[in-house]
Amino acid sequence: MRNKLFIFFIIGILLYLIDIGLNSDEDKNIYISDQEVISLINAWKSQVGREPTDDEISRIINNLVQEEILYREALNLGLEREDKIIKRRLAQKISFLKQESILKDFSQKEIIDFYKANRDKYYVPGLYTFTHKFFSSSSNSKERAQNHLNNSNGLYENSDPFFLGKNFADVSSVEINSNFGSNFSSYFKNPPINQWIGPYKSSFGYHNLYITNYTPGFHPTLEEIYNQLLVDLNQLKRDSAISDFIKEVGPEYSVVINPDLKI
Amino acid sequence: MNFKSKKLLYLLFLLPVLYVAQLLIIDIDVNKKRPILNIFKLMQDDSALEIVDFSVDKKTTNSNLPKPNKDRNPYYGDLHVHTKYSFDAYVFGITASPDDAYRYAKGDGILHPLGYEMKLREPLDFYSVTDHGFYMGMIQAFADTSTEISKKDFAKAFHDLNRKDNLTVESAGERSDLFSSIIGAVIAEPHPNWHPNMIKAWLTKNTQRALKSFDYDIHKSAWADIARSANEHNDPGKFTTFIGYEFTTSTDIEGGNLHRNVIFNSSEASIRPWTRIDSLNPEDLWTWQDGLREKGIDTVSIPHNSNGSNGQMFEMESFLGRAIDQGYSDKRMRNEPLVEVTQVKGTSETHPLLSPDDDWADFEIMDIRVGSRPPTYSRPSGGYVREAYLNGLTLEFTQQGNPYKFGLIGSSDTHTGAGAFDESNYWSKVGLLDGDAENRGSVPLAPENRERLEEYMAAFNQPQSTIALEQGDYANTGFTQWGASGLAVAWAEENTRDSIFKAFKRKETFATTGSRIAVRFFGGFDLSSIDLNSDNLVSDSYKKGVTMGADLMSDGDKTPEFIVWAQKDKNGASLQRVQIIKGWMDTTSGRPSEKVYDIACSDGLDVDPVTHRCPDNGARVNIADCSISKNVGSSELKTLWRDPEFKSSDKSFYYVRVLENPTCRWSTWDAIKRGFKPREDLHDTIQERAWSSPIWFIPDPSDVVVVPLGGTVPIRNTN
Repeated sequence: MRNKLFIFFIIGILLYLIDIGLNSDEDKNIYISDQEVISLINAWKSQVGREPTDDEISRIINNLVQEEILYREALNLGLEREDKIIKRRLAQKISFLKQESILKDFSQKEIIDFYKANRDKYYVPGLYTFTHKFFSSSSNSKERAQNHLNNSNGLYENSDPFFLGKNFADVSSVEINSNFGSNFSSYFKNPPINQWIGPYKSSFGYHNLYITNYTPGFHPTLEEIYNQLLVDLNQLKRDSAISDFIKEVGPEYSVVINPDLKI
Repeated sequence: MNFKSKKLLYLLFLLPVLYVAQLLIIDIDVNKKRPILNIFKLMQDDSALEIVDFSVDKKTTNSNLPKPNKDRNPYYGDLHVHTKYSFDAYVFGITASPDDAYRYAKGDGILHPLGYEMKLREPLDFYSVTDHGFYMGMIQAFADTSTEISKKDFAKAFHDLNRKDNLTVESAGERSDLFSSIIGAVIAEPHPNWHPNMIKAWLTKNTQRALKSFDYDIHKSAWADIARSANEHNDPGKFTTFIGYEFTTSTDIEGGNLHRNVIFNSSEASIRPWTRIDSLNPEDLWTWQDGLREKGIDTVSIPHNSNGSNGQMFEMESFLGRAIDQGYSDKRMRNEPLVEVTQVKGTSETHPLLSPDDDWADFEIMDIRVGSRPPTYSRPSGGYVREAYLNGLTLEFTQQGNPYKFGLIGSSDTHTGAGAFDESNYWSKVGLLDGDAENRGSVPLAPENRERLEEYMAAFNQPQSTIALEQGDYANTGFTQWGASGLAVAWAEENTRDSIFKAFKRKETFATTGSRIAVRFFGGFDLSSIDLNSDNLVSDSYKKGVTMGADLMSDGDKTPEFIVWAQKDKNGASLQRVQIIKGWMDTTSGRPSEKVYDIACSDGLDVDPVTHRCPDNGARVNIADCSISKNVGSSELKTLWRDPEFKSSDKSFYYVRVLENPTCRWSTWDAIKRGFKPREDLHDTIQERAWSSPIWFIPDPSDVVVVPLGGTVPIRNTN
């Protein structure tokens, strides 16, 4: 009795396996939902501006079916392998996933290390306070600027008004470049204080400078920029999520490149 | 039966009754207007007016910051930038985040979807990421198969897109297709009437929740991320950001574009953007803005691409076809002090048909409606700002108020996160669709590309997509009418959110076509007493006159005087001339007129007193290599101007236009870099330019209607 049961059981399993083997047709069903058809027809309507005829509806559905068939046959043939576009897309997808799943809490050490590594990024630049005489490029400006310098008290040569004004208080070299043209800030390196210097050429003409104050730049302390550090570290994490992931799993891969390849 | 189970039974009975009653109320509210039953509206709660504080906790070391300049500095920025959160940007293959966009504005390089680097020649001072509020974040969620909503059927089209690829020109057809069909088809389907989300939508005045393809949590988190990014990158004194979004509405019938950008003044904002699903009518947007202002959050909305609105942006009647009245005008001006006059999709200053006597009117004209398929002509009248200024005077003349008394800015409307402002380094706007020269039509198409383009454009309802010219077949899909423009510039005391936003409200702004031209503009009755060569020119002008964006009240019969001072872009071409454009309304006939005066010429040349034109300064462009004449043109132009045809009884406005010497247009740069001649049916060169906000002359001060700004937000600095 027991044996018989066991044999039937085995036969049952065999029948089942045979059935699965023969019935691979199961994979060949294409299900198209109502929703899908309706949304396709709606898309068609919004472009063409009228209801599709029955003929057109069947064509729309046919296209869909054909695409699905071709897609599945392509998968059967393994055409998705070594396809650059599909590769790139999948790589992108996992990148998105990795970026989403980063932690927001940082250890004290992480923050301090980040601060040490990026200290220069948080450097607060030095500021200059200065006045200047401007000699517009439309006239013999360099000569006039030189004349102005040669007069010891600097009052006799008439200068021109500058569009952004005469006096600049506490501006950094970045602002100097943005107001006068790139590289203009180089004239401010180690400047003599309270003395006319020049003439220096900008995008607009010549300038003589009289720098009255220089506040040196400084590296802010960890406490001063702590919260900014958190914000930036978080951004860095988001950006480096992918490279970190590669670092993590990369060692499991070995890369082989033909050493004799001539390019 | 004991007491407890009775109670339970009672509850079981009551719940469906309440539920059905609620449905009935909604039905009455939506379908049958019954004023008394409006009392049930008290149950409603306006979700769009809920305020959230998005501020990021970071203390900056502002010990070393420049001092505010009371004479104000020009700050350059872009208030129209899309990233991956826009429903269409995602379809264009864009993956740039708001963080990427802000990094770009600060001077870092970021990648275009086609793989090359986009980088500014000089960083900007302010920037606002303004993704489409409508369906914000949703498309991304459809495409990301790990989300719940992507498993729904309507999201499938988007998986398909991504399965095939993300980053090739070949996918352009399908992408375009999705963009045009999405608004109509994928989204419009609501839940059935009995669905709990319907009740939620009604109770919270949040229509979008009634839609099957909408997930409120995803939407809110996209908006929160945009706000977070803006606040993280805001760096008072150095770099300013604004929380913002685009209200992408249009007219129902003709598809007239009525798009506007909404810019917030603080680190707080509403919990969600007010979108076209809430209402298509811009007046409802303004009501919402007024509501926010009552809660202490100020916003400005800035219309753009009026050129593609089929004449509906600046109509003589309201959205619903009613007459404009004082109330409408006040409300519009309270909420819309600025208009984006130039951007990648063309310039909306004026049109040759509207200003036939203006030799510079044919400038970067885009003549089709925004997003129309097939491309459809956009009627000029009603779509350009100069005519709107004139129409504003007409409306005021007929006692309807002036809804068109706005200032001017430019911006890019890039969808790549990175605005293209430089003719010689141009990547247009929509990522994969126009990221290379062939597809934007500046060089001939390779045969295989031609075939592909024609095929997908035909499927995309544009049968004629190429054009045969001397050097071969070119793409002709509309991108040739787009350009490397523009920038918003604000005159503000310092580079902070507060200071720059106040400049927006004062309309003390000007627009440029991407060049960093700067222009000062003052009007008054005693400006001739100021020495133009004095160092106090600016501070004296502020004292004795008014500046751009303001009203100049008459002073007896005195003729107004104007001081204009323009400076060239330090990296750009020299200035050719400065003009004043005057528009006025003849009080006896109600007839509007306009005139263009040259007021300062380069190289010391004089304006002809009869024609009001500068002589040719001789500046030329060599089309073979885009080099320009050296030593021609001025680095700055400055003058005092008196209106030679002034009538003290006429209402009028004056604005400045600054013109650079001609330089190569982007399409010419594209062609010569790739060894072609420029296309013969496009302009080879362009005159980069700037426009100031107008100064309005008011003949009779009793005529002025002062528009109260509303709310409790302080407009001036108290210190």
